[in-house]
Amino acid sequence: MQKINKNVVLALLSLTSLVFLLFQLYYYKFYLSQKNGAVFSKVRGSLSGQDSTRWHVVRKFLGLISSHNIPVYLVDPLILGLVDKDIEQIRSSPDGPSPECKYFCAPRDFTTFALLDKTWKHEVGLFRTAEKMGFQWLKIINKDPRLDGMDDLSGTEIPLHYIFKLASHAIHLVVFYERSGNYLWHGPLRLKQHMDRKFVPFRKLHFGRYPGAYEKPELLLISIDDLKVQIPKNPSSFLEEMSHSRFLECRYREARAFFQLYPDDASLDAVEFRKKAKSLLHLAAMTLNKLGVKFWLSSGTCLGWFRQCNVIPHSKDVDLGIFIRDYKTDIIPAFQKAGLPLKHKFGKVEDSLELSFQGDDDVKLDIFFFYEEDDHIWNGGTQAKSGKKFKYVFPKFTLCWTEFVELRVHVPCETLQYIEANYGPDWKVPVKTWDWKSSPSNVQYNGIWPVDEWDDVIQIY
Amino acid sequence: MDEWKPNPAIKPHKKRSWYLAWKYKLMNQRTLRKLCQTGAVLFLLVTVIVNIKLILDTRRAAYEEEEESAQDYDDEMLNAEVARHPVSNKKVLDVEVYSSRSKVYVAVDGTTVLEDEAREQGRGIHVIVLNQATGHVMAKRVFDTYSPHEDEAMVLFLNMVARGRILIFTIKDEGSFHLKDTAKNVLKSLGSQVAPFLSWRDMWTFVGKKGGEVYGEKHAKSPALSTWGDPVLLKTEVHLTSVEDAECHWPDTELNRRRKRFCSKVEGYGSVCSCKDPTPIEFNPDPLKDNKVFDVPVAVIAGNRPNYLYRMLRSLLSAQGVNPQMITVFIDGYYEEPMDVVELFGLSGIQHTPISIKNARVSQHYKASLTATFNLFPDAKFAVVLEEDLDISVDFFSFLSQSIHLLEEDESLYCISAWNDQGYEHTAEDPSLLYRVETMPGLGWVLRKSLYKDELEPKWPTPEKLWDWDMWMRMPEQRKGRECIIPDISRSYHFGIVGLNMNGYFHEAYFKKHKFNTVPNVQLKNVEGLRKDAYETEIHRLLGEAEVLDHSKNPCEDSFVPDTEGRVYVMFIKMEQEADFTTWTQLAKCLHIWDLDVRGNHKGLWRLFRKKNHFLVVGVPASPYSSKKPSSVTPIYMEPPAKEEGAVAVPAVAAAEQT
Repeated sequence: MQKINKNVVLALLSLTSLVFLLFQLYYYKFYLSQKNGAVFSKVRGSLSGQDSTRWHVVRKFLGLISSHNIPVYLVDPLILGLVDKDIEQIRSSPDGPSPECKYFCAPRDFTTFALLDKTWKHEVGLFRTAEKMGFQWLKIINKDPRLDGMDDLSGTEIPLHYIFKLASHAIHLVVFYERSGNYLWHGPLRLKQHMDRKFVPFRKLHFGRYPGAYEKPELLLISIDDLKVQIPKNPSSFLEEMSHSRFLECRYREARAFFQLYPDDASLDAVEFRKKAKSLLHLAAMTLNKLGVKFWLSSGTCLGWFRQCNVIPHSKDVDLGIFIRDYKTDIIPAFQKAGLPLKHKFGKVEDSLELSFQGDDDVKLDIFFFYEEDDHIWNGGTQAKSGKKFKYVFPKFTLCWTEFVELRVHVPCETLQYIEANYGPDWKVPVKTWDWKSSPSNVQYNGIWPVDEWDDVIQIY
Repeated sequence: MDEWKPNPAIKPHKKRSWYLAWKYKLMNQRTLRKLCQTGAVLFLLVTVIVNIKLILDTRRAAYEEEEESAQDYDDEMLNAEVARHPVSNKKVLDVEVYSSRSKVYVAVDGTTVLEDEAREQGRGIHVIVLNQATGHVMAKRVFDTYSPHEDEAMVLFLNMVARGRILIFTIKDEGSFHLKDTAKNVLKSLGSQVAPFLSWRDMWTFVGKKGGEVYGEKHAKSPALSTWGDPVLLKTEVHLTSVEDAECHWPDTELNRRRKRFCSKVEGYGSVCSCKDPTPIEFNPDPLKDNKVFDVPVAVIAGNRPNYLYRMLRSLLSAQGVNPQMITVFIDGYYEEPMDVVELFGLSGIQHTPISIKNARVSQHYKASLTATFNLFPDAKFAVVLEEDLDISVDFFSFLSQSIHLLEEDESLYCISAWNDQGYEHTAEDPSLLYRVETMPGLGWVLRKSLYKDELEPKWPTPEKLWDWDMWMRMPEQRKGRECIIPDISRSYHFGIVGLNMNGYFHEAYFKKHKFNTVPNVQLKNVEGLRKDAYETEIHRLLGEAEVLDHSKNPCEDSFVPDTEGRVYVMFIKMEQEADFTTWTQLAKCLHIWDLDVRGNHKGLWRLFRKKNHFLVVGVPASPYSSKKPSSVTPIYMEPPAKEEGAVAVPAVAAAEQT
């Protein structure tokens, strides 16, 4: 009896294992077909040059959009990277037939293009033609950030991304919008509940994890792999820009809540100060951008942006931060040329450098230089009459773009930590009396300048 | 011998030996078998483990993917959209209609679609149009047929409603006093038996299909002049038709899709929804050569007057050089019908949550609209601001294209406006002529971005200040002595007669007779002469050439100006200081032009036309042009009427209004 049992069990087990085996086989086959024969197209692609699915899909897509007169340009970082290596050659032989499919045949799930919103009219016809050509498409819309800062406007969702899928390849079309401050913006890609989250491998897309801000690119028409496409004229600088493109929207909702608690100062003085601060900031940004010096909103100006999306009317100056590694000697002459004389200079490049320029009517521009250490970043302060040094310590941060008073500027991405380091946990409460030597919660006493250096490190004009 | 002896033990032995043999045999195989067994079990185990691992792996991968994409992409979970009007599959609608002195209501399938019990409001015949296939309300109107001419509007409306629609009528308070026979006949033709005999303070309800059956009618006669008829409540059933029957069969194009969506939702727009011969919704006017305003955004400020908006957008989209992509309609409030109109024309519309009340609400709406416009078009240096109750002249953009560079270059300019406050049928003549004026007319104008961003936006009146935005803009603190350029013949026409600051009488008196340019492609004359200094030279030239009129005559009389054509005349009126407009106001009154406040002046000079002659009025001695007055001439002084009821305070111009 026992033996029979044993045998039966054995047989049963073998059967199960066979079933498992079959299942495994089936699953593997399924997995392969899901991987949409990338392997095969790879083989074919390398064999016959231009036979890959990707190349065909891109060609079809370019045909589709050119039949509707929609000017798109290539922003796919992987292809642009390849193109950048051969840029001279491509430029010099604009129509030369390339011997092999070099750019559009590498097997990828998607290729990324960009579209300037104002250059097309949102015709529905495009999508109907796309469907006829066999494309499946997906549109991702969201709130229009250009109206986000405004109370109570609605009915304004705009398309941020389109995805056209044919066979195993997808085209990711990123829609760029012009915004106040003379830059281009693209939105984040957020799926809504009912959307097919397997439509494309969304998390692999190069654009969409965060919103981004870019300069308006100059375009160049090139012909690669027998396809004519527009690309940013300087691919390497575009790629560089892309790596630092993350954009933060101002926190309009919180700003509104703030103004509910602390109504805005609408007095004539406040209006005047804001106007002056705005034009000073515009002037400073123009000057520093021309020099290629990266700067960000710091101290009170940063707080104003973060807390109320506007200049704090009682702040009385404009504050910027610059990494000391970006310091250039022509900063001072450039500002003077722009009509902003140096008011004082504290510290030196090696230690606690701080510049202050005099704007119109008492509005001051303060530039603090930031020193990077292993686990923190700091900037210095100097008391003119006593030669005392102060140190303001911040946790490490990176820079993001934002829009402030119609200007594209940098702010620390980790704004909250930055603000809290500077102003403490009660930064939400407006304070009218502020002592830069004692009020900041991150201030540290940092010794005294040696008297023989005073002439150099304390210059007042 | 042993052999045959039955030996009980032998059996077991034999058996045993067999068993042993078998066992021995097996013993040889056992190792094999054991091997097989272990092999199988091992194999099994491995498969199971591998399989489990595989399953776990894919599970985790799928889960991770899901989670990651969930983290990345699910910031905003939208609530599943809930259909606002659940469409029942029922083929029959229950309709309840109530009519009484102080209250009317209409309920369709238990949902109240009209309820009006406000006092002193909503008098007359209420009309509701339902879609015969879905039962949705397509239009709601009230015609105060107690007052004159409202019955004509009702007839117009009823004629526009498509055949087959379901019409519901009910009277509140009184609806027969000015209900003329024409209107009664129309009601009769719809199947009403009572309508021809409706009389003073009768109560009446009626439900019928246009061009078809009658679903019910109830009527209560008023027993005496001083009393009302008893309230009536009509309960009836309406049979729905199929959707196909309720729609027209237009060719399937993008435009007709928009049209279809529109026509299945709303009624009262006439031939745009006609099945046979629908009026176009795309106009393709000629493009302008060298159009300088092609990229200038156009903000249309609207309230809840969808029929006005429809008329306005038609004229705007028909104007030469229009660029529909630059047009944004800003609707003050979450009204559906204006948005439907905007979508019909394929334009973009933005709704704005109303802030504050009355004039301040309009003012806040203006601010939001202007800010949004410059945000949406960050490159724009200007914005064209229009209102929903304006007709736009065919050469509106041509006019702006020829003059906009002045606004860019001449710092002393405040705006360019398409409207001449004093440009009436009898006082405007020359479509190619432009003026500089110290007042801001509005009603179709161009705003410079820098002016808005640097000066106006930061100090725009806050919601608690109940100010008119246009009055505020006219204040010296804002205008700072700058002027606007206007045409002699207006490029816009103000047709709105319902509005915040507007009524029929006021419109008839001040707007109806306004001149409106209908000539395309007018070439403007001497545009450069509109610059600050050039304009002075031009005025001096004009005054030098002008003939001085006979100041002994009454300037109000027609004979004051000779029966000539194309001449330039000048008259001098008394104006003690800059703000003394006593005589001017009287003169404006008798000339039947704008006299409610001072408009259209430039340094104490007014320019208009009389009998096709250019007619200049100079205020002496306040105007710097007083020196042109011959010493023999005594400026005319006109006394204000002794018993003036304190100049009825009618705020200037009605802006976007919400009824």
